[in-house]
Amino acid sequence: MSTMSSTLSDKLDRIFRLQDLDIMLTEAQDPERKREEEEMGFRMGTIEKLTAARSRLLSQIDPRDLRLYERIAKRHKHAIVPVEDRTCLGCYMALPTSAVSLRTEPEQLLTCENCGRILYWLE
Amino acid sequence: MTDSSQFLKYFDPRLFSAELRAKTKDGALKEMVELVAKGDGVRDKALLFEMLSRREQLGSTGIGNGVAIPHGRSLAVVDTKVVFARSTKGIPFESIDDQPAHLFFLIVAPPQDKRNEYLPLLGKIAELVQEKSARDALMAVEDWSGLRSVVSEALGEK
Ligand SMILES: [Zn+2]
Repeated sequence: MSTMSSTLSDKLDRIFRLQDLDIMLTEAQDPERKREEEEMGFRMGTIEKLTAARSRLLSQIDPRDLRLYERIAKRHKHAIVPVEDRTCLGCYMALPTSAVSLRTEPEQLLTCENCGRILYWLE
Repeated sequence: MTDSSQFLKYFDPRLFSAELRAKTKDGALKEMVELVAKGDGVRDKALLFEMLSRREQLGSTGIGNGVAIPHGRSLAVVDTKVVFARSTKGIPFESIDDQPAHLFFLIVAPPQDKRNEYLPLLGKIAELVQEKSARDALMAVEDWSGLRSVVSEALGEK
């Protein structure tokens, strides 16, 4: 399970972890979503372990990245969105060529100029 | 809404294990993550495993009757995927009825689910394994095409 850093930069990796966790926390706290899962037979317990994991994760994230993420997450359900065919799948606007060329810059979080969401490439 | 061919598109012959080697819950999750990664569109196995373990911390996805359906959304995957795996001996999975799990369906989806396919799929599989006849048939499946026919038959009957 140690192959992860070969596919994602550490910076992006921590933000990805945060978004995965936040999605799970949001769903676990959504009464309708919770009821749906329980009706399917799944147990939905308390979120304490997840919130503890979130605090630990936050301490590992660059404060600037965290501020960026939290600012976007306030406005959008998904702060991190994929790019497909040079289009941001958050707002469906085409990305300028300049943004596409920055894609090879692994130490920088790229955001959509139009909607501000953090971008990652699917292909 | 979902006919069997629509439903079967999430399955993949590479995402199939007639016999898991794992003996523990974590081991089973890891082995199934390795299986998902044999298909296309898995960006990050470690991230996927982490998401699935966290989901288990919320409550076991072992729903009883020897069935476990680990699931969740993660940026680690590009498309919705289903793994089918089995353990004849059974694996302790902290299931609702405290019985080991023999049949596993692992379901993972990206956070952005354009066609809203993940929840209906999860519901469909949870429903499928409610039937004892379907569980027995799944325990007897020998290969991928066997799984295909059991799944499509179980759905076709509805
Ligand atoms: Zn955008």
